[in-house]
Amino acid sequence: MSATQTFLLELHCEEIPARFLAPLTQDLAAKIEGSLATWFASSDSAVWRERAEGFYSPRKLALRFHGIPETQPDQTETQVGPPQRMCVDEAGKATIQGEKFAEKWGVPFSAVRFEQPAGKKEPCAVVTIIRPGRPTVDLLAEALPGLIASLHVPKAMRWGSSDFEFVRPIRNLLCLFGEQVVPITVDGVTATNTTWGHRLYHRQHAAPVTIATPQAYEAALEAAGVVVSVDARRTRIAQQLDQLAAEAGGRVVADAELLDTLAEIVEFPKIVRGDFPASFLELPKEVLVTSLREHQKSFCIEKADGELLPCFLTAANRTDDPAGFVKAGNEWVLKARLYDARFFFAEDRKHPLSDRLEKLQALTFQRDLGSYHAKTGRVVALVKMLATRLSQDEAHVNRALEAARMAKCDLRTLMVGEFPELQGIMGGEYLKHEGAHEDVWMAVKEHYRPVGTEDDIPSTPMGCLLSLCDKLDTVAGCFAVGLIPSGSKDPLALRRAGQGIVHILWERGWALTPTDLIHTALMAVGQKATRTAAETTEALLTFFKDRVAYQLELSGYAGSVRRSALATGWEDLADLKARCEALSAFAEDARFASLAQSAKRIGNILKDEAPAEIFDGSLLAQAEEKALAGHLASLEGTVDQKGLLAALAELAEPLEAFFNAVMVKCEDPALRAARLSLLHRLRQAFLRVADFSLWQ
Amino acid sequence: MHIQELILRLQRFWADRGCLIGQPYDLEKGAGTMNPLTFFGALGTKPWNVAYVEPSRRPADGRYGENPFRVYKHLQFQVILKPSPAKVQEMYIESLEALGIDLSKHDLRFEEDNWESPSLGAWGVGWQVVLDGMEISQFTYFQQVGGLDCRPVSAELTYGIERICMFLGGYDNIFDLVHGEVKTDDGVFPVTYGQMRQREEFELSAYSFEHADLDLHRTLFEAFEKEGWRLLKEHGHFLSAYEQALKMSHTFNVLDARGAVSTTERPGIIKRVRDLASACAKAYLEHEEGAPAPADTAKGGAK
Repeated sequence: MSATQTFLLELHCEEIPARFLAPLTQDLAAKIEGSLATWFASSDSAVWRERAEGFYSPRKLALRFHGIPETQPDQTETQVGPPQRMCVDEAGKATIQGEKFAEKWGVPFSAVRFEQPAGKKEPCAVVTIIRPGRPTVDLLAEALPGLIASLHVPKAMRWGSSDFEFVRPIRNLLCLFGEQVVPITVDGVTATNTTWGHRLYHRQHAAPVTIATPQAYEAALEAAGVVVSVDARRTRIAQQLDQLAAEAGGRVVADAELLDTLAEIVEFPKIVRGDFPASFLELPKEVLVTSLREHQKSFCIEKADGELLPCFLTAANRTDDPAGFVKAGNEWVLKARLYDARFFFAEDRKHPLSDRLEKLQALTFQRDLGSYHAKTGRVVALVKMLATRLSQDEAHVNRALEAARMAKCDLRTLMVGEFPELQGIMGGEYLKHEGAHEDVWMAVKEHYRPVGTEDDIPSTPMGCLLSLCDKLDTVAGCFAVGLIPSGSKDPLALRRAGQGIVHILWERGWALTPTDLIHTALMAVGQKATRTAAETTEALLTFFKDRVAYQLELSGYAGSVRRSALATGWEDLADLKARCEALSAFAEDARFASLAQSAKRIGNILKDEAPAEIFDGSLLAQAEEKALAGHLASLEGTVDQKGLLAALAELAEPLEAFFNAVMVKCEDPALRAARLSLLHRLRQAFLRVADFSLWQ
Repeated sequence: MHIQELILRLQRFWADRGCLIGQPYDLEKGAGTMNPLTFFGALGTKPWNVAYVEPSRRPADGRYGENPFRVYKHLQFQVILKPSPAKVQEMYIESLEALGIDLSKHDLRFEEDNWESPSLGAWGVGWQVVLDGMEISQFTYFQQVGGLDCRPVSAELTYGIERICMFLGGYDNIFDLVHGEVKTDDGVFPVTYGQMRQREEFELSAYSFEHADLDLHRTLFEAFEKEGWRLLKEHGHFLSAYEQALKMSHTFNVLDARGAVSTTERPGIIKRVRDLASACAKAYLEHEEGAPAPADTAKGGAK
């Protein structure tokens, strides 16, 4: 192995959108790893991945690989030429063709061997050429411009007079192999051993930063005002946030996504605390948190009791705030934003929320399914049908209906017009202010939840019912007019809505099956459907089965548990949950492996048989089979899943003994039939829990 | 800083960097991009640098002159640099310094913000420029205008004049801004933005939210459209036809502010404006093929 070097590549661009930084860095790394694996054929790309470090900042995409050999190993190649009979004459001397072949590969004719290569019918001329390995720096120089140009850029642009496309204009290239500059040029920019520091601090420097060696990269840039590691920036931001929040007398309202965003949009992070007039605290907490996040990329600070303090934290792309301009500027802008929010909050409350119900007619939900007004009508109908099944309390049902009527009204409020992510939340807030029953405003407030698999379901049963009916109408309605997600295409996020329905059923344990729900929802959709109810039902059942399978995965059950439990029924979620729980616990039991094995064996034996349901125990002869039959009655009498599994566990030993001693498919037809029936009955009991043939 | 001083400094700055100083186009429009100096200037291969102020109307943003931050009509300062120079960001930063902003004490960021004008068939990628948390400019590399690829690409810089003035002066109310001073023998009289514009804001807001005749505007929209296509098809006149597209766009904005356009109608109406604007862009390019561009003529000297 030759000596190794560290390789460093940095694309210095105009500000790259934050969302593209990580994917582009990963893509560039994967492409370079692939090339390294090809050049140094002995290793796969995983070896190189371990040696790679990615860096990015708003203006930089960079990669560093350590342990890259300076030269490629020598490459041995075998070249096959014409058949032997054409290269050598009868006297054993080289023909003209033979000489030419040797000449072509630069060897004397004496170096030519005659062998029969695979796939040829006769011996042919063969030479082995050893190509000296090429310097890695040459290989890099050849490959990199193409690799960079081939990066996957979701929203590419052109600039200036060139046709070159990239995420943003490339303004500088730094490319080092050890201390040597790799000579590459991309769209007229030629690589050097220099780069640029922070946009503002570095303006005082006439010359760019020289990076003497790849190892000196981070330190040299930090001195020029750029922390080039996103993880380092995130850590520094998190520390400053915590410290400043503590100084203000509270803690940061956590938001991991916002933290990532801040780390991606600054080159040098400085957290600045600003204040806003306390009078704005009369706005709902969600409004303040959302407004600060969306408009100013700022964190709120809350007290131990969850109440907000009248201050905020935001990141500046600087090392300091010497004149307090950053603080003052952000405060100024925030005040304008909050002024707007307060205006919306006041305007919206001048009329009761219910005034917006009629206005929902002008708001299209979906072309074939009509307006949000029409949707509200369907959701009300669904809530009515399902609420009466879940509750006997008439007042409770009436409140659920009230919540359903009000659920979408906030879509016509100014506040939701400004902050769409506050839908539901504002409806709830406004109803609360109007003095609505807590059940009602809470249900409206939370009815978009769960918004993803990470999110919780609504905290109240009524919120869950409303959320379920709203999502059910969306999913069933869209399916009924042919809008069915396929592959990666799910523009209406129906899978997420479906997952939410299953999540709610799973947590609540309501006795509502997907078949039930689909039937009810399609009644509400009624004449709007463009497909037959049978078609839609079939598609929806498949859809829901996938969602249930995923729910099991999210709940953390092992693959064997999920497969075998799903196979014997998936619609009754409470039952499915109980079976999965019982199976997961039982899988730890020492007797389990033996039992699963026996269950599989029973399945195999019964494969081509048609055993009778009625089984005559008196025909059984051997002690082991009588013992086994003795368990059957208690097994079949057990109703709950846990008891059933406990009974099954007791069966492990007798079953093993049975299979060791008894030959099921014996000569005597009556005895054989009795034994098959016994196994059949046992299998029925097993299937009440799971199909063990799918275990592992 | 007074509004007029800000404008004068920006004009001086960009004139010194090779821009023609243009004038606002005398039709209602939502943004400086709609001025033919930009719409047509960004098309074709000829170099073109221009800068100008554009009063821009957004009927839905009208607040009767009561909201201290939002107005029906605001001033944009627009710069087009074609092809986009390699140092365009640096030039922009220097222009801020020319306004007296000491960047060693401020936070400046370029945050992703891609611009799109569906009614002009135009889009580009770029940033909103954020100074101490405040959006002060829009920075765009035009990729398409009038549905046609921009080759070369223009850089468009748009400064929000009132915002920058408010921000620099720490004003909490747009109407308190000082536009400039009138000096007479009797003394110096500062003139505020409110004195010049507050009544106008009130009346224009009332017009777009209450008094605009919806039937008239629907009729006008149809008539402008018909007129535009007639000018283009029968006479090949893309400039007068483009004016009709601008009028359609503003008429639509008035209807929209009144809530008279449903969400389903909207894309269809915008497409009708875009179709006419795009046809004008195409006709312009066909006409310009081989014709000397303003910059070329300038190099050639007087003829």
